[in-house]
Amino acid sequence: MTLTREINRLLIATLVAFGIVALAASYWAIVGPDTLLQRADNPRLIMAEAAIRRGIIQDRNERLLADTLIGPNGQVERYYPQPEVSSLVGYSSLRYGVGGAEAMFNTILRGDDLSRGFFSELVDSLLHRPQRGSDIRLTLDLTVQQIAVQAFEDQAGAAVVLAVPSGEVLSLVSLPTFNPNTLDDEWEQLIASAEEPFFNRALQGSYQPGGMLATPLMVAAMLTGESITDPIPNATNPIRIDDLELTCALRLPRLELPLRDAYAFGCPRPFAQVAERIGSQVLEETLARFHFNAPVTIEGFAARPEDQTLSDITIDDATLVESALGQGQLTVTPLQMAVMAAAIVNDGNAPRPYTLIATRAPDAETWQPVVTTRSTIPFTTEGTARQLQDLMRNAVANGAALNAARPEIDIGGHAALAYSGDETQSWFIGFATLPGKRGIAVAVVLENRDDPGLAADIGGTLLEAAHQTLRALPQQSS
Amino acid sequence: MALHESLPVRPPAPSRLQAAERSLLLVSSVFLAVNFLALAIIRNSSQPDHWLHLIVWGLCAFVGYRSLKRWLPGHDPFIFPIAMFLTGWGLLAIDRLAPAFAERQTLWLVISTATLLLVACLPHALRWLRMYRYSLLLIGLLLLIGTIILGRNPSGLSGAPQLWLGVGPLHFQPSEALKIILVAFLASYLAEQYPAMRAEELSSGRGRLFFSPRIFGPVLLMWGICIVILIWQRDLGTAILFFMVFLILLYIASGSTILLLSGMALIVIAGFAGYQLFNVVQLRIDIWMNPWPEADGRAYQIVQSLLAFAAGGIFGQGVGQGAPTFIPVVHSDFIFAALGEEWGLLGILTLIVCLAVLITRGLRIAVIQQSQPFRALLSIGLSMLIAVQSLMIMAGVLKLIPLTGVTLPFVSYGGSSLVMTFIMAGLLLRLSASEGSPS
Repeated sequence: MTLTREINRLLIATLVAFGIVALAASYWAIVGPDTLLQRADNPRLIMAEAAIRRGIIQDRNERLLADTLIGPNGQVERYYPQPEVSSLVGYSSLRYGVGGAEAMFNTILRGDDLSRGFFSELVDSLLHRPQRGSDIRLTLDLTVQQIAVQAFEDQAGAAVVLAVPSGEVLSLVSLPTFNPNTLDDEWEQLIASAEEPFFNRALQGSYQPGGMLATPLMVAAMLTGESITDPIPNATNPIRIDDLELTCALRLPRLELPLRDAYAFGCPRPFAQVAERIGSQVLEETLARFHFNAPVTIEGFAARPEDQTLSDITIDDATLVESALGQGQLTVTPLQMAVMAAAIVNDGNAPRPYTLIATRAPDAETWQPVVTTRSTIPFTTEGTARQLQDLMRNAVANGAALNAARPEIDIGGHAALAYSGDETQSWFIGFATLPGKRGIAVAVVLENRDDPGLAADIGGTLLEAAHQTLRALPQQSS
Repeated sequence: MALHESLPVRPPAPSRLQAAERSLLLVSSVFLAVNFLALAIIRNSSQPDHWLHLIVWGLCAFVGYRSLKRWLPGHDPFIFPIAMFLTGWGLLAIDRLAPAFAERQTLWLVISTATLLLVACLPHALRWLRMYRYSLLLIGLLLLIGTIILGRNPSGLSGAPQLWLGVGPLHFQPSEALKIILVAFLASYLAEQYPAMRAEELSSGRGRLFFSPRIFGPVLLMWGICIVILIWQRDLGTAILFFMVFLILLYIASGSTILLLSGMALIVIAGFAGYQLFNVVQLRIDIWMNPWPEADGRAYQIVQSLLAFAAGGIFGQGVGQGAPTFIPVVHSDFIFAALGEEWGLLGILTLIVCLAVLITRGLRIAVIQQSQPFRALLSIGLSMLIAVQSLMIMAGVLKLIPLTGVTLPFVSYGGSSLVMTFIMAGLLLRLSASEGSPS
């Protein structure tokens, strides 16, 4: 009588049970990575995301705009030494995602576009090295940007500064904005704020163009052979559209002015007459030639959510005058206006705006320039553009854009008013020229402010700052 | 296939046994040294206190090896190295997962090793267990009652099970001691009844077997203890463990498969009843059936545990490089999942093989000792305590069975558990060395 039979059975049962446990462990270890680990509630995904070392962001002069700080335990923090660049640079937050250039160049900054070969990737994964992204250098000029933000003080509005003929975005301001360093703490207030700090006014703002449409109307007038120097009686008189009384950008007594001076002073009445003369058909064609039907955007950045462009609306005789004076359904973005100014200073062809100069892979010494051929956008002929330049120089020398003048810089501009609801917007577009057929284009809009002189002043300040930066450089390569 | 054919029953020469034991301990210490080094590199710290654990472990292994060689010749060469290996691995894992607990566990390792050597090397340990079985059982039951009345939880949480008795900062879990006492009692009781039980089975037929007081008595006692543990202490794991080990011993002694199967059926029926009666049982079973909808609520722990196995994959993330700390109280019940994440499937299979070898060696002792039923039954009981408890927690953590809150023997954090497991290992060592000598 022995126990051997029972013990043998017991041993076999125990070993089978251990085998089943081993099989279950094998199942989760082999099947799990493709199924379980992809669950959204897998904390490892968030950890891996948090450990990614994003590339830094520099301005065009290699000054740091966004940095990745690495703590003693390898925790990563995105830091923005210059929070005033947030309108273009945007933000990167583990909780709230990415915005601005951080979103546009997210793939590069995260390093998702890098393939480093099988072995380096194997070694990185064995050693649990965090994913690293490339550095990027933007076209932004930190000095111009800082001067712009200072010039706005607490004024809500937007400004865009473009280099000509390259199309580099030197500055992009949208105020009020957010501080990307304190984004996580302030998110709820920022989102709820009536000032909409995340709304990029420069790229997405839908503003009434108002007197800004005087420039294309001027072209239409010149092309239809109208004299721009013959005096027009009662040119400074206000004009009524429904409840709205449109006046010159400067307060002027009752005067007779030629069309070129009406342009300089931002007087609407003569342009209403131009519109009535050319009719809705020609007006629409002229605006289309100035790309109001398909406004230029910066690729990859948030555009206007619903395009109230020319292609969506119709101009008939009933809406002819209000449309021509920029008080109709047509709205524009500050970027669009800056591109128009760039076309004028670039003799009729606008450059396509862009923001990325170069990238640098992790551990790489040298920057790789981003070379893209960008076709220019035709607005008007060289001759007309030259004439517009002179008109705008006149507006700075003698007109409403006087405040934009800066000593020893060739500056032209145009200041005007626009109305939406109870609010008045002040507009300024302008340019400065540089040797070697180069130049700078700017657009400024001030919200709820009846002061085109201030808009012109800010525009002049931006042109001067950009002029100083670019003057030192030789012929632009791009 | 009989066990004594597949495994060499006649032990090899003592010098070869010692060489095997030494090699196993050396391999273990190399594994631990490499992993402690990796952990120090990952932590980027040169603090000496992390090395303290390894040094203390090495001293325990060395002293243990030398003492067993001297005082217990002819002992099984696998039991002590496996116990030390698993404990060292557990120490490493606790240091990695919950460094605050590692020092206390190291202290417990010293106490446990001393206790193991005491139990293994004292010449009369087995005889005392047998002679004083009623006194021991009484003490055990008194401790259990004491826990019911005075029990508390070291964490101080009011909702946590009150399974500990404490004096000042020291806490002790009496149910751990009760495990050994009950197994020793049953082994000794069944060893006396066993010839009669077998004879009764032959003479009276299966029908009357259940009604024999020889069976009826211990069944009622065990059932009562389990119910008390379950109801008053809400310690589902220990209750099931006791009953399973008891059933196995009864089966070995009586040779009746029907008895075993009806016992298993009883557990299932108790499960159904428990599901209706106890919230804690209902919760465990609900989560086991479908944890996914409540992955961020009640089933968080088990889902995170499975995620850890998946994250570990085949090769593991490496010590200190995974994220098993997302599992709540990972250093205790869920340490198996942490090993899965950081040492991968290979680590898990190593652990399972170690435990399987340990159990096999324990049962081998029973085969060798079957001329002395008490010793055979005691070896089986102790082996099965370790086997059933390991299987319960491993299968629970892998969602094979509902979770029962028991520790993984040797590996999990817990002082009383470690001391008692080492006492079991010490008794097994003692049993393995005393072939043929009268008890």
